[in-house]
Amino acid sequence: MNENNIMKGKAGSGLLVISGVVFLASLIFAIIQLSSQGHASFNTSSNLPWGQPIATYLYFALASSGLGLLASLPLVFGFKQYYPVAKRCIFLAFIILISGMLVLALELGNVFRMLWAIPLNFQTQSAMFWMGIFYALDLLFLLWKFRKMESGEWDSKTSKQVGIASFILVLLASGNLALIFGMMSMRPFWFDALLPIYFYFTAVTSGMAALVFFAYLAYGFKRENMSQPMQDLMTGALPKLFAALIGGTLLFIAVRAITGLYTNNPEISLVWTDYLFASPLYHLSLWVGLLLPFIIMLKSSLRNQLNMQVLASVLVFLGLFAERFYFVIGGQVVPLFKGTWYPDLLTYTPSATEWALSIMGWSLAFLLYVLGEKFFNLSAMPDAITNTAGNQQAAAS
Amino acid sequence: MAKWGMVIDLDKCTGCQACTTACAMENSTLPGETWQDVLFYHEGEYPNAQMKWLPRPCMQCESPSCVHVCPTRATYKDEEAGGIVFVDWNKCIGCKYCMIACPYGVRFYVDEKPLLEPDLREIFPGENQQLWSPPYQGPDEDWSKGIGVQPPGVVSKCTFCHHKVSKAPEGTVDLDEDNPAVKEYVPACVRTCAPKARYFGDLDEPTSQVNQLIGDKHGVRLKDHTGNKPQVYYLGAGAGVPAFQPSDKGDKS
Repeated sequence: MNENNIMKGKAGSGLLVISGVVFLASLIFAIIQLSSQGHASFNTSSNLPWGQPIATYLYFALASSGLGLLASLPLVFGFKQYYPVAKRCIFLAFIILISGMLVLALELGNVFRMLWAIPLNFQTQSAMFWMGIFYALDLLFLLWKFRKMESGEWDSKTSKQVGIASFILVLLASGNLALIFGMMSMRPFWFDALLPIYFYFTAVTSGMAALVFFAYLAYGFKRENMSQPMQDLMTGALPKLFAALIGGTLLFIAVRAITGLYTNNPEISLVWTDYLFASPLYHLSLWVGLLLPFIIMLKSSLRNQLNMQVLASVLVFLGLFAERFYFVIGGQVVPLFKGTWYPDLLTYTPSATEWALSIMGWSLAFLLYVLGEKFFNLSAMPDAITNTAGNQQAAAS
Repeated sequence: MAKWGMVIDLDKCTGCQACTTACAMENSTLPGETWQDVLFYHEGEYPNAQMKWLPRPCMQCESPSCVHVCPTRATYKDEEAGGIVFVDWNKCIGCKYCMIACPYGVRFYVDEKPLLEPDLREIFPGENQQLWSPPYQGPDEDWSKGIGVQPPGVVSKCTFCHHKVSKAPEGTVDLDEDNPAVKEYVPACVRTCAPKARYFGDLDEPTSQVNQLIGDKHGVRLKDHTGNKPQVYYLGAGAGVPAFQPSDKGDKS
């Protein structure tokens, strides 16, 4: 069924050119801005040091982890019906993490220094040290697993061990990423021992949104172009899981909002009342970006329709991007120990350079995705699954 | 080795900001890069409205959360230097995690939009890898301790004027600006304080003036619930931080 992959044809080349142009344009713009103005081209400040580039990195890193966790369904836990998307999940996890890392690199003050200063100084007390270790290993194991799949080695002992190691690394990397925020008791909006669980859940949800969108994109948004096992998955277990994941995400946001609104601590409650719920964009991301797709995926008459699935994935894509943004900024809007120099909540709107970095990340993900679809067979499955499907089709006809 | 500590008597402080100015002059900091600042807080409403002010250097915490989070050990607590928390500008990658983790908001990343126009960085462009090169600079520069004018892309902070304090004769207990023998080694903010609201000395020495003041006058540490254990103590009424309240949300009861 690989010949039906439109990314291998002219459509793919077109998307490749467009994403390549957007990537280069945004990268060049960002580099010109950064080399001429430095980080003064960002709208961050010493009072609100982490802005949209950090939120973008967080989004990409967690979407990658989410895809890694989805891949583990067939590769580690034996949910065979997910085999048709396993290889694409691993590939997307790899390229989305690369995109996120590039955004983070351009956010740092001294990126090249990071390459020696983090490993050589071995500051094990810092969650950010572990972030470097875990995500670097995560990247390595994703690549290793992908190479195993590429060589058709799905079920060998090594392949399984690499898959399990990759799964554990994904858990460590994204859980630790949560702790970068969750361990900060001086930032009560973030301080939460269960934040890793929230991150796991939302990570898989954003990974699922990416998977649904990119899987359909490969086949020109035509389900009949997909292999039978993949069609079965897209009309069976996957949309139900998608619904459950969005529902879980909403539940997490609800409990965070309820505890946040209930508490007397103004450093938490004010973030909810005066920042998040005071922002029309936050409402939009919550109701249209998450609740609407949840309702769509909940209704059995809608959830199997291709256009509804694509709509839900795009909405969740955008909704969770906003969620990450508001999470990162929300932890910083209450000024820390500034007195009446900063009498109100801090305000922040991303600058053109910060938007350029986000757009660069997105376009790089698209660029690498098309290259992946062109040069690899991302829909590959173990022979056993393909043969079973072939036999079923033969029997049906 | 001494454990340097500062005591600030709020009953004496007039909020004049001379300390802030002296610090900026001594350390060639940019507008907004206020290693030392006097914060103003208002609390309550008529008829019991209060205004309070808190001079705020880096607290040089005993258990500094900024040090724990730094992925490269660029920020570190130097027990040999009296427990001062430094930033090694040769190691800082500019991730700004320490700024997130500092409960006292005393860290600065000046590679940002200028607080004031004209931008001093454009008037005095950086030379020799400095972010900016003001015409007057102190003679002391040590990037491994974050002393001098920083390069771009790193975090800066108060050093308790280590370049002065470290030159005090061995065994000095009180760095008192009234003592001619040691006045050159007193941190700039302490030396310039007209009402003599600041004291500087060795917290490890039981007889030091700072220890006497903390004991006798009920010295407190700000935001003590964070567990960071500052080496800066406050005396007098008003040594506390009111909860954050946006300016338009006063107590209307």
